[in-house]
Amino acid sequence: MDAISFLAAPFVAGLVLAGILAYLGLHVVERGVIFVDLAMAQVAALGATVGILFGLDFHSPATYWWSLGFTLLAAFVVTGTRSKKSHIPQEAFIGIVYIVSAALAILIMSKAPQGSEHLKDMLVGNILTVDWPEVVKTGLLYAVIGLLHWVFRKKLMLISLNPEQAQAERLNLRLWDLFFYISFGFVVTSAVDIAGVFLVFSYLVIPSVCAMLFAEKTSSRLTLGWILGTLVSVVGVAMSYLIDLPTGASIVVTFGVCLLICVAIKRLFFAKD
Amino acid sequence: MKRLLLIVTAVLTASSFSYAKLKVVTTTQDLASIASLIGKDRIDLNYIAKGYQDPHFVDAKPSYLLKLRNADLLIAVGLELEVGWLPTLVKDCRNNKIVSGKGYLDASTGIDMIEKPTGQLTRAEGDVHPFGNPHYWLDPENGKAIVQNISNRLSQLDPANAEFYAKNLEEFNRQLENKLKTWQQLMEPHKNTKIITYHRTWGYFCNRFGLMVVDQIEPKPGIPPTPSHTLDVIQKIKELKIKVIIVEPFYDLKTPQSIAQKSGAKLLVLPTSVGGVPEATDYFQLFDYNLKMLLQNLQN
Repeated sequence: MDAISFLAAPFVAGLVLAGILAYLGLHVVERGVIFVDLAMAQVAALGATVGILFGLDFHSPATYWWSLGFTLLAAFVVTGTRSKKSHIPQEAFIGIVYIVSAALAILIMSKAPQGSEHLKDMLVGNILTVDWPEVVKTGLLYAVIGLLHWVFRKKLMLISLNPEQAQAERLNLRLWDLFFYISFGFVVTSAVDIAGVFLVFSYLVIPSVCAMLFAEKTSSRLTLGWILGTLVSVVGVAMSYLIDLPTGASIVVTFGVCLLICVAIKRLFFAKD
Repeated sequence: MKRLLLIVTAVLTASSFSYAKLKVVTTTQDLASIASLIGKDRIDLNYIAKGYQDPHFVDAKPSYLLKLRNADLLIAVGLELEVGWLPTLVKDCRNNKIVSGKGYLDASTGIDMIEKPTGQLTRAEGDVHPFGNPHYWLDPENGKAIVQNISNRLSQLDPANAEFYAKNLEEFNRQLENKLKTWQQLMEPHKNTKIITYHRTWGYFCNRFGLMVVDQIEPKPGIPPTPSHTLDVIQKIKELKIKVIIVEPFYDLKTPQSIAQKSGAKLLVLPTSVGGVPEATDYFQLFDYNLKMLLQNLQN
C-alpha cells in the first residue's frame, strides 16, 4: 500500500469536513456561539459513554444513535437558551452544557468497563483511520444537510445575521433555530467520530474567522473559507507525512499558522487607517 | 433494651476480634489474585485498580482512601506504573504504616527488568518508565518472585500464620510450575511467530512464550501514531505475513481496527490483568485465557 492511496481517504475526509464546517462556522461566528460545537461534541461523547455503559462498542452504529439522540436533546437546550431579553449571555449556558456533560461522562466512565481513554480519544481523534465507506456515508449526509441549508439559505442567514429583522418579518425564530442546531448536531456527531473535537473546532472556526478578515458578503466569505480549508488540509496532511507527525495535530497547527498569515496580510496590505 | 445493648456489644466485640486479620491492599487485581492464593481467608484483602482499567491512570475515589487508611500492608507493582496516582492517595489517606518500611511492598523486588531506557530520558519519548517496563507480571516465571515477595512480607507482619503462608506458597509454586510446562508446550510450535502489539505492554509475555514483537501501533504511548509509521506497520504485516495484532482492553480500537482491516491481520483484545475479561478469574486463568485466544488465531 503506497502513501498516496493510504492518505487519500483521510485527505478526502478533510475536504468533506472543510466543505460543511467552513459554512456552518460562518453561522456560529456570527451568532457568537463559538463553543457550541465543543458543547455538542461533549454531549455526543456523553451519549456514547451511555452506550458503552450498556455494553456497546465505542464506534458501533448503536453507539452512534445514542450520541445522536443526546446531541439532538442538546439542540433543544441550546435553542431554548437564546433570548434577547435575558442578561445572561448564551455562551454561559453553552459552557454549562459542556462542563456538566463532561463531568457526567467521567462519572459514567468510572462505572464502565472501559476507562477514560475514550474521552481523550474523542478530543484528539485519529483522522488517519477513516475508511472509504465512512467518508462516502459522511459525504452523503453532509450533502443532504448542505442542500437543505441551501434551500432555506435566506431564512437561515437572516436568523443568524439579523434576528431582529427576522422577527419583524414574522419568521418563527425558535423553529428555525431548532432546525439549525439539529442539523448542526448531525454534522458534529459524525465529524467528531472521524476527526476528534480539536480538529472539528479548527475546521469550524478558523476558516470563517480568516474569511471575515477580508470579505463582507456571505458568498465571498464562504468561497474564501472553502479555499483556505482545502489549502490547509493539503498542507497539513502533506506536512504530517513528510515530517512524520500525528495528522490531526498537524492540520490544527497549520490552521493556526494560516490565521497568523491572514492577520499579517490584513495588517500589511489592507490597513485602512 | 438492656438485653439489646448487651447483644450489640457482644456482636461488636466479636467482630473486632475477627478483624484482627492482617489488612492488605494491592494496587492491581493481579497482585490481589496472587496475594489471595497465599493469604486465603487469613488476610483481609482489597485492591484498587480493576483488571479492565489502565493501571497507569486511575481516578481517585473516596473508597480508595478508606481502603488505604485502614491497611496494614500496601502492595504495589512499582517501577512507576502507579506513579500518576498512588503517591497522592498514600499521602492523603494519612496512614503512616503504608508509606515505607514493612507496610509497603514493591512487588518488583528481585525481578530482571527489560527495556530499561539508556541515556538521557526526555518527555519526547511519550509516557516512558525510567526503571524499565513495569508489566513484568505478564511473564508467569516472574510470578514466582512476586509470590515469594508477598509471602515473605505476610509472614513478617503476621508470624502467627507464617506456616500457613509457607504452605500456600509451596502449593502456588507447584501449580505454577505445572502450568508453565503446559503453556510452554502449547506455544512451542509457534516459537518465533511475529506479532504486532499496541504498546510495549506485552514485552515480558512475548519473551516468555517466544513471540517476536515486530512493532507497536502506538510506539510512543499517548501520542497518536504518524502516517508513515502506520503505513510502515501495515507494510510489515503484509510482508512478514503477521497474523495477529494484540491490544489491551482499555484502548480505543479504532486505529488498530483500521490497521487490521487494511493489512488483513486479526485484531485480538487480550486482558493484561486478572479481571480484564470475565474469564480471567485468577493469575493462572489469565494466562490460560490469553494463550487459548492466541492459539486459536495462530492456528487458523
